[in-house]
Amino acid sequence: MFRDTFDKAVWFLLALTMAAILLLVARGGEPGDGKRGAGLGKAVEREMAYRARVELVGKLYRPVEELRQSGNNAAALLKLDELIRSYPGEAHGHILQGEILREMGAFDEAVASYVEGVKLNGDYLDAKSPLSRRKEIQQLVDEGLKSVGARAAASPGNRSVAASLQKVNYLKSRLAGGCE
Amino acid sequence: MKPAFFTRLAFVILTLFLLAGCKAEGKRPVVKIGYMICNSEQETLRRFAPLTRYLSDACGVDFVLVPVDTHDFEKRFKSGDLTFTHTNSLLYVVLRENHGLQLVASEKRGKFGARSAGAIIARKGSGIEKLADIRGKRMAFGPMLAPTGYLAEYDLMLAAGINPERDLGYYSIPPGSYKHEKLIYGVLYGKFDVAAAPVLDLETMAREGKISPDDFVILAQSQPIPYCTFGAAKGADPALVKKVRDALLALKPTDTAEVEGERLKVMKEAWIDGYEELLDSDYNPIREMAKRVNMPPYQKY
Repeated sequence: MFRDTFDKAVWFLLALTMAAILLLVARGGEPGDGKRGAGLGKAVEREMAYRARVELVGKLYRPVEELRQSGNNAAALLKLDELIRSYPGEAHGHILQGEILREMGAFDEAVASYVEGVKLNGDYLDAKSPLSRRKEIQQLVDEGLKSVGARAAASPGNRSVAASLQKVNYLKSRLAGGCE
Repeated sequence: MKPAFFTRLAFVILTLFLLAGCKAEGKRPVVKIGYMICNSEQETLRRFAPLTRYLSDACGVDFVLVPVDTHDFEKRFKSGDLTFTHTNSLLYVVLRENHGLQLVASEKRGKFGARSAGAIIARKGSGIEKLADIRGKRMAFGPMLAPTGYLAEYDLMLAAGINPERDLGYYSIPPGSYKHEKLIYGVLYGKFDVAAAPVLDLETMAREGKISPDDFVILAQSQPIPYCTFGAAKGADPALVKKVRDALLALKPTDTAEVEGERLKVMKEAWIDGYEELLDSDYNPIREMAKRVNMPPYQKY
């Protein structure tokens, strides 16, 4: 086994390699722990960012909500228009606009606005989200399938009604879990 | 001898080509579209020239843009001069009821798409907080045949038990062009206490930075009603009506047309967001308003 120096050298190198492997295996968990740590950090970061967004959205759109509560939907829409221009990537303005337009009797435009909002941010379909509008969107879809569906059946060649129905169906598919 | 023969042959072929060209050009029918003048004749010509050219290209017809004063429109249409019309929704109803105008397509602009609403506004901080406060005040209306600058607001006031003829201090209509803008500025700078403002104009002026939504109190707003409308005369060629409707509905923001050697974006020049296919029954709220306000086509003396 250790007949000469060469054998000794080979066995020594083998032992060294084994020790190195064991050491690596023993330390192997650490990067994973680090990853887990980093993962936790990211989750916390995500949560913080989400809560910050909810806070910001509440603050940003408070004047609109106040106008709505005082029954001044027309002024609320004008204010909202300003906010949508200032924050074009923010979905909340489109969702609020959809709610107001629906209250004002502009159903097709309301559906189009909800579609814009949902396309920008799917949180509004999530029942657990503090921003959730799932129930309202479900009601909108139910009403749309009846009213827009009836209009589409009565005027099969009308492309505008068909486009509205398509938007209602889009919201329906998103409620059912369909992706963008 | 041979060169002379070829010269004559070339001349004959060239003449035939030229004649063929003239014949094809002359064959395109000429059809007039009457456009209701909004602010001025020049503005109407500038706004709608690219759209008219686009329609000519799309339909294979030489459309001619005819600017028509709002109050002359019915008379002009009755003469049979105009095959297509582009008017506000109240004029559409008038021409439909009195002359059988067909609905072609409705124009989309702003938040309500093919609809807009009328609003009664006051300056914030003026002490006028609700509709009842306008009694005895100075009010400005838009042009008399404006659905969202006169009709809708007049109807809102009647519904609230306010008779504009009796209960206001006085009311007037600003003279000249840009009446809607003038009355909004009139309220902002104190010339009038209240005004009948189309929501679309408030929206547009705010977007252009001319006013801030925070400057005004909206005392009342009508339901959204259809806005500008393309119509076709009762006897118009159905195939052409379909072509025009298809071309309008297919219009995209990137579509261009050449006017006086310049290529222009059609929708941008005409200030529109597109066209929609509404039903004639969508105009019923305007009919109801016109009956209540005693306006054409239901006016009773």
